[in-house]
Amino acid sequence: MIRRPPTLQATDKLAFLLSLVPWLIDRAQVSVADTAKHFGMTEQQIREAVMLIAVSGIPGETQQYQDGDLFDIAWDRFEDDDEIVLTHLVAIDDSPRFSGREAAALIAGLQYLSALPENADRGAIDSLMAKLARGASTRPSEMAVEAGETDAALALIREAVATGVQVEFDYVNSRGDREHRHADPLRIESVDTDWYLRAWCHLRGAVRIFRLDRVSALTLTLLPIEFSAGDVPLPDELFEGSADDLFVTVEVTLAAVSLIADYIPDDAERITVGDRVRTSVRVSHFHALKRLVAGLPGMVTVVEPPEARRTVAEWAAAGAARYGIGPG
Amino acid sequence: MSPGSAAGAPRVPVEERLFSLVLALLATDTGLTKNEILSTVQGYRQRYDHGGNNANLERQFERDKDDIRDLGVPLETVESPAESGNQNLRYRIPRGRYELPSDITFSAEETAILGLAAMVWREGSLSTESRRALVKLRALGGTSDEPVLGYAPTLRVRDSAFEPLRTALDKHHVVRFAYLKPGELESRVRTVIPLALVQHQGRWHLAAEETGTGAQRTFLLRRIVGQVAATGEIFDPRADDAPTRALRELEQVWSSHTAVVEVELESDAATRLLKRRGTVTAPSGALELHYSDLNIIADELAAFGPEVLVLSPAELRDAVVSRLALMARNHREDTRD
Repeated sequence: MIRRPPTLQATDKLAFLLSLVPWLIDRAQVSVADTAKHFGMTEQQIREAVMLIAVSGIPGETQQYQDGDLFDIAWDRFEDDDEIVLTHLVAIDDSPRFSGREAAALIAGLQYLSALPENADRGAIDSLMAKLARGASTRPSEMAVEAGETDAALALIREAVATGVQVEFDYVNSRGDREHRHADPLRIESVDTDWYLRAWCHLRGAVRIFRLDRVSALTLTLLPIEFSAGDVPLPDELFEGSADDLFVTVEVTLAAVSLIADYIPDDAERITVGDRVRTSVRVSHFHALKRLVAGLPGMVTVVEPPEARRTVAEWAAAGAARYGIGPG
Repeated sequence: MSPGSAAGAPRVPVEERLFSLVLALLATDTGLTKNEILSTVQGYRQRYDHGGNNANLERQFERDKDDIRDLGVPLETVESPAESGNQNLRYRIPRGRYELPSDITFSAEETAILGLAAMVWREGSLSTESRRALVKLRALGGTSDEPVLGYAPTLRVRDSAFEPLRTALDKHHVVRFAYLKPGELESRVRTVIPLALVQHQGRWHLAAEETGTGAQRTFLLRRIVGQVAATGEIFDPRADDAPTRALRELEQVWSSHTAVVEVELESDAATRLLKRRGTVTAPSGALELHYSDLNIIADELAAFGPEVLVLSPAELRDAVVSRLALMARNHREDTRD
């Protein structure tokens, strides 16, 4: 979930130029700073784009790109005041359409987000999707994401943030322990079908991440929050390492490596032995490990340390014992 | 990129050449011939060899056309009725199909939601395309509502088959790939017409039609082994709404499969399985779950170890037992090397 500033390919730059021109046309004058802010780009990127636009145009009657065939800007305003004023226009009047693939990407994203309380009005979302499709130059890609169900917990959390009160709930951690928590909600995060609440936990006195499907009996309190999203630095990575993490050596089938990629540290060694990779995973404790390994049966085997192997072995044996299958 | 015949001419940046091409083709009603473009448009003309061989430049133009069309710019080819032959093809960008219809606007609320929708994709072509769509959205000048609650949603596309299948869908290419069905030892090669890519219960599926039999099939992307190859055949796009139909069928499969499990009170399994979509608590206290694929739910239930006891169906019970037994065996003291 790292959000680096995007590096722009030539086609991205073209899309930007085709978008910047109509935006500038709609404004008699605008500062480089405001333009950069609106498009989420650096001021230098904006200046470069404006300088390119200012010398561009059409071959024209003479096929020589004469002055009247080119865009022009008020150069003194640009150079002295960092202001953009288009003084001559060529060829472009309006914003470009979306490509079919661009529209499809946004439509599928909207379908995924239908669980959010902001999207409870399905009619409004449907008409937004129809508008994207109509604004595309070709039919959107044949693609769809199952709509999530509106989640009552998300609506409550949103209400808590809007009114500035703490939430309280029961939480079962991966050890199986149930604790009652008070928390200041900071952000809702998700990966595929798993949704998480990142919050300031008053029990731990720190930012913690809670899987929403492990949260029960969530209610609003009358206690005011102590922290809001702007007060605490929030990590870009959903699964960030901690100094207390344990490192475990595992053997993984080639096909399953991507399924545990979140747990493999960036600098971990990966040695391929036949159809398996020996590498290491980082976990908060062995109880989280046993659930991870048990969800990929036969695909991941713990090599060491012995205590980690034992934790997994006991988990599996206890599971098998429920069906009357003993050790041996 | 080779410098072409006019080596030594000042280098025009790629985006300037592409921008100039779009401007030139938007400005013409009748269209420009390839020669007119190569000899007059900024970025080409510097490298154009009058009366010489412009093969490199022509190939450049072909790639540029593809790049421009990928951005959603409707670059058209027109043949003038009086003339014929390849040299008389004309190119243009019709304004009406290029510009966003003027009645399409987005409210601050809609812009905020679309910003989130774009954020969902963090990798691959979907991420690039949603970023570009947002840039175009910003061209309309709308502002975005500040959200009450911050969101960081992510949908992953980890299956290596996804990108080639999406390309094949958009370009209407028939594809061939090897598919490994669970329980079978060898993968089998399938040749299919791709109809839709859909994500259901967190997994990507391909709805497709087998070329030989015309039978409709749904493939789980993670079971596609090796490369997806285009066969070179092109199919006619279908008129029906394939993604909606595929999702509906996956939903039917999901609701037709029910597992009954007992969960340990207050355990992680009890909390999470109860929250699973569609779960019902039976009078006995057992949970009734829906699932699409026996092997996948067996993995999920095995992860809960002793917290779950599968009562039915028998095949699922057997599948979970064999997973737990295998895992216990793999981690026994004496199996360690």
